[in-house]
Amino acid sequence: MTVDQLIDWFPISATWPGLTFLLAVLICAVPVFLFIAVYALVVIYGELKISSFMQDKVGPMGQGVGLHAWRWGLLQPVADALKLILKEDIIPASADKKLFILAPFIVFIGAFIAFSALPFSQTLIIADMNIGVFYILAVSSLGVIGLIMAGWSSNNKWSLYGAMRSAAQIISYEIPAALSIIAVIMLTSTMSMQGIIQYQSGFIWGFLPNWLIFNNPFMFVAFFIFFISGVAECNRTPFDIPEAESELVAGAFTEYSGMRYAFFFLSEYANMFVVAGVAATAFLGGWQSPIPGIFNSPAWGLWWFMSKTMFLIFVMIWFRWTFPRLRVDQLMSACWKGFTPIALVNIFGVGIWYLTLG
Amino acid sequence: MIKYFATIWETVTTLLTGMGVTWRHMVAIRRDNVTLQYPEERWPRPERDIGFDHDKYNVIRSRLHVDIDDCIGCLKCERVCPVDCIKIDTVKVLNRGADIPNIRHKGITSFGTKKALVVTRFDIDMTECCYCNLCVYPCPEECIYMTGGPNAEKHDIDYEFSEYDRNDLIYRFAKKVSDEDVTNATTETQEVTD
Repeated sequence: MTVDQLIDWFPISATWPGLTFLLAVLICAVPVFLFIAVYALVVIYGELKISSFMQDKVGPMGQGVGLHAWRWGLLQPVADALKLILKEDIIPASADKKLFILAPFIVFIGAFIAFSALPFSQTLIIADMNIGVFYILAVSSLGVIGLIMAGWSSNNKWSLYGAMRSAAQIISYEIPAALSIIAVIMLTSTMSMQGIIQYQSGFIWGFLPNWLIFNNPFMFVAFFIFFISGVAECNRTPFDIPEAESELVAGAFTEYSGMRYAFFFLSEYANMFVVAGVAATAFLGGWQSPIPGIFNSPAWGLWWFMSKTMFLIFVMIWFRWTFPRLRVDQLMSACWKGFTPIALVNIFGVGIWYLTLG
Repeated sequence: MIKYFATIWETVTTLLTGMGVTWRHMVAIRRDNVTLQYPEERWPRPERDIGFDHDKYNVIRSRLHVDIDDCIGCLKCERVCPVDCIKIDTVKVLNRGADIPNIRHKGITSFGTKKALVVTRFDIDMTECCYCNLCVYPCPEECIYMTGGPNAEKHDIDYEFSEYDRNDLIYRFAKKVSDEDVTNATTETQEVTD
């Protein structure tokens, strides 16, 4: 399902092209929004449980009354969401109101529109652009504008610090992420997400699925560089210096409450999905089955894509509850002295490999 | 250059070690779980020995309980209470020692005493109670006591009596009968005897 197909399919497309476009966009956008909401509830519950297990606790167990009281605390994220909706929406008196109101939506939109190029299965993609990966890399850094808006408009020292840090961090980590994606594009010679996945069909080395992570040792390194840079772009722990709660209260989100805060939260989880989805697509074969040739129908494709993405999200949660937060200078030196040179060497190595052995 | 790669190697290996630690804790959650699911699970009560025999001396003093059928309404506990948390109202019966089934009043206590009073109100405010045990000693019928210790067979030990409303901690031991019934019961007997 792509927007183009929908537009062609509508019978009124010739007479009112604008209306058709609007309808097609709505038909694509509403399910994606619902998907993000439901997925966020699932991942929040998973995060609560996984974090508790890693700390020898049991997590939400459905004690108490109301929505909390269900088996294994399964309704805990619903109760949390309800709480955030019902909370008072506070706008500080000295805040820049327009920017303050706009910021959460910009952050969310940055994560939301990246979904349009994610290939959920062979047929389930909103728009299979010929610049898919480039588009995702471009729009996912849109969120930093929203974060700076949030930090600046809050008129709060912690918010501003958090925003500045997140701007520095996201822009820095874009570079190794993009450089490791360049290595992918060198091999696949296409930027279309479906094209990248189609390149990864069949076997490599005789038994392994032809995923780019197994293609050569340089790609193996590139996957980790991309994934860790992606975690940093999501502002997740151990790279969560923009909202370092022990230093900056909540960073750029300090002055936000209720639904506006929930939107920041939602966009963080949506960003995680985008990063994990791109990593799964570019390195782990997207909707390709791990045993090439079988289980390759579109429905199974959705299953494989979701399971790969969810596994990577689990690894992000695992990171979060294992690693301590990096200091600002450590974060920057890891990016500029660690990831970026290795990513550059990787491009060179992939090129040599492609010319000599490929 | 060697130092650069050595640092990267050390970073990767130490991070993997850390992830291994959290992974082991995550998969071992059922064994290593230390959280007590309180209302469903409880810690066992520890054995205590402060030099007294538990059967003779009550060291637990978990809460006050009154066997209201044995209470003769003598007000000794109310008077002795240092914080005045016991409130007792009584109505006189004329037929001393007779049962009054209308208000579920028993005439004779388990010690054989014939009761002259109907206890219409016996409230103990456990939020005020200081657990001094002083009300227990003067009771001639031994009907007010701290649960636990030698009284464990009379009443379960209850040290978790939390309530949602503070007023629910005022224990009302008197039989729940309306004032009308009590006046009817006592005046009827009066009319009969007159």
